[in-house]
Amino acid sequence: MTNDPGESGLHFEQFLDDFYVECDEHLSVARRAVLALEASLQQEVIDRGLLDELFRSFHSIKGLSAMVGLQVAEQLAHGLESYLGLLRKAQTKLTSEGLEALVAGVIAIEQVVAAKRDGAPKPDVTELTKRLEALLPSTAVNEAVPKSSAQGAPSGSTSTDVAAKVAMKLVDGGRAWSVHFAPSPAGSELGINVNSVRAELLQLGTLVHSEPRIEAGGRVAFLFLLITPGQDPPQFTMKEGLTVTPYEPASPVVESDAAPSATTDSESGAARGGGSTHLVPANLVRVDLGRLDELMRMVGELVLSRARLQDALQRLHDIIPSAERRTLEEVNLVIERQLRDLREGVMRIRMVPVHEVFARMQFVIRDLVREQGKRAALHLSGEETQIDKFIVERMMDPLLHLIRNAVSHGLESPEERIAAGKSPEARIDLRAATIGDTIVVEVEDDGRGIDAAKVLARAEAMGMAPRSTNDPAALLDILCAPGFSTREEADRSSGRGVGMDVVRRAVEELGGALIVHTKLGFGTRFVIHLPLTLAITDALIVSVHGERYAVPQVAVREVIQIESTSITTIENNELLTHHGRALPLLRLDRFFGARNRQAIAAHHVLVVGDGSDALGLVVERILGLREVVVRPLTDRLVQVPGISGATELGDGQVVLILDVADLKRNSRNRKLASTGERYAGGRHDAANQVKQTGAKP
Amino acid sequence: MSNHDGATTSLILFELAATTYAVPSRLVQQMEMVERITPVPNAPAFVDGVVFARGQVVPALNLRLRFGFERVPYNLKTRLVVLAEHGRTVGLIVDSAREFLTIPTAAIQPPPETVTGLSGKYLAGIAYVDERLLLILDVSEILNFTELATA
Repeated sequence: MTNDPGESGLHFEQFLDDFYVECDEHLSVARRAVLALEASLQQEVIDRGLLDELFRSFHSIKGLSAMVGLQVAEQLAHGLESYLGLLRKAQTKLTSEGLEALVAGVIAIEQVVAAKRDGAPKPDVTELTKRLEALLPSTAVNEAVPKSSAQGAPSGSTSTDVAAKVAMKLVDGGRAWSVHFAPSPAGSELGINVNSVRAELLQLGTLVHSEPRIEAGGRVAFLFLLITPGQDPPQFTMKEGLTVTPYEPASPVVESDAAPSATTDSESGAARGGGSTHLVPANLVRVDLGRLDELMRMVGELVLSRARLQDALQRLHDIIPSAERRTLEEVNLVIERQLRDLREGVMRIRMVPVHEVFARMQFVIRDLVREQGKRAALHLSGEETQIDKFIVERMMDPLLHLIRNAVSHGLESPEERIAAGKSPEARIDLRAATIGDTIVVEVEDDGRGIDAAKVLARAEAMGMAPRSTNDPAALLDILCAPGFSTREEADRSSGRGVGMDVVRRAVEELGGALIVHTKLGFGTRFVIHLPLTLAITDALIVSVHGERYAVPQVAVREVIQIESTSITTIENNELLTHHGRALPLLRLDRFFGARNRQAIAAHHVLVVGDGSDALGLVVERILGLREVVVRPLTDRLVQVPGISGATELGDGQVVLILDVADLKRNSRNRKLASTGERYAGGRHDAANQVKQTGAKP
Repeated sequence: MSNHDGATTSLILFELAATTYAVPSRLVQQMEMVERITPVPNAPAFVDGVVFARGQVVPALNLRLRFGFERVPYNLKTRLVVLAEHGRTVGLIVDSAREFLTIPTAAIQPPPETVTGLSGKYLAGIAYVDERLLLILDVSEILNFTELATA
């Protein structure tokens, strides 16, 4: 759309956003259906429902693409739709070539749509178009060819095509109408825009075609073709900018696919719904994530206000008579509970099931496995697990990367597997589960495992100075080092050396942790721990040398009070005997660089992690448990070890949030490294001294 | 910097170690008195900590330390100048700041070759206004801290 849309520009932008969302939904449905179809390969009877579903998806994508003038996607969808039409009429059997074309088609449409959205050059689909044409009998090809040479008009649909569609829909009664809609600022104020008009049209009948038009004066208008069940003109509640005229086909019906005889009994049921571009049930509302963020932010502010209220109440504790005080405190508690409910409610809105992400992974694996001549079956579990939409979006690329690594590096060829006494078909597991306030996502393969010795050698060859790799965390540190790659040359899917560090960073930016388990010859398991939601969390407020810190409550297993005498010191490491085990301690004051100051006297220990991973954080005082609104530390100047974000407790001052996972990791590294504290030496000394002598306002 | 006749540049002036510096005012989001800054452990030496600015957590750089001057305690004249550049937002702690000045763009000269030292490399240009020397800072250079390790 190169014209200047003037006042209606906004509508079109909105419309485009909608287009991407809807395409995405239809593509998700298509992906699932294609994967399910794979099971029916070469069978006599194909699941009719799947074909219908897939047909509808491509049909909708076709219609939507035509509306935004995305001819490439429209043509692809059209080709796929035609092929599915043949399958539905049992005129051809689903072959493996056909299935591959469907898979490739879904991927290509996705790429084309993404390219449109990102303003990137359109991917080349000539090869795929040829493959599709080869699958179709000559009549369908003839019809597809002139379309690919269509030029000029924003819509790639020929009038013939439209007429054919109309004829198909008119078979069992009803009437076709041309609806012309010209968006106007006045209408827009009344909520009349292309989206609301389209929604209303869908209520009134079947929308067979829609396209944007450039009218005199460069204004954008939309033309819809509507089929209504009765013979009466449709009655619109919205009148602004709408004109309805009976539809006159421009040319006679030529398409074989559209001949009345083609509409068999079995077709009328499913295909009727197939005309609709809306697959989303009517009781679902699509909400922009930004609006939910805004809502969450407002809830966050409410939480802060309540914290202020509580502070004020506490200050008034001795002044107000106890009866009045009790009422106030009760109200305060009620507000707290209600806020909690509200917060959970908003959180639930943001949650989406992880199955769509998983379906996408399934697709990627299928493609990669085929390309690399490997064999693998994907097992999914916990697809219904709900994850915050924001987190899902951010996890897509890291998961894709882990999957690609699993296929490219993890899996052996069938021959190698047989030689190793394994089944030729490899297994990849993708799991999700909610455990408390954490989401755990796992990617596991039963491939060759990671050869720690090889990784170590490679790291040394690359000039890194790795420590021992007996510890999975240390191994992960090497794998996640920027630029590290075990591949000599990059291939398409992995080995560019930009991978694992990006994966870990993405996970950690979300407040999560990445863990690897691997056994040479048996496979590798990557475990990602993610917080359920990001915005608000419960935290223990502690103080260290007068400075307050927030510790996410989820991470704290236990709080214990200790005497200095109960601490055993072994070579720089302090241990506390707790529950009959030696618990290593990390003194936050030292970790945070106050080594020259007197050690803090009163000790509280927050126990974080469990088993061999447990660590005790030594703090001075515990000030209380609070709901905190988490804000990220986005600037790299202040992205320091052990700190994951910041919050405010109502007094306008920043309180840093401890990164427990990072503290644990650091402690582990210290255990392994023979000398020195990783974060406390070198140039940071200067920082520490400045901090101590530094000016306090 | 363009040299079109009549083109002007708006600057925010501030004082640091008895010298007048300037930053383009379009980069300045706000200026405020320095209140409580939360120290960030193990951050670079010249980062005094973080503060909230417009709901964002923003690092506060002590420009004296950044330029290798001696640290002085904050006082009533100390200001935090919050700058946004290339998607980053940082606060600069300066001795004082209060002046807004528009000068002809043509009055800005490239920094003389002879200006050396740490603060020299942070200069985008210099200008003389009423006999007064303004050192115009290259903000992106100040925010760039890759040379920190060798500094």
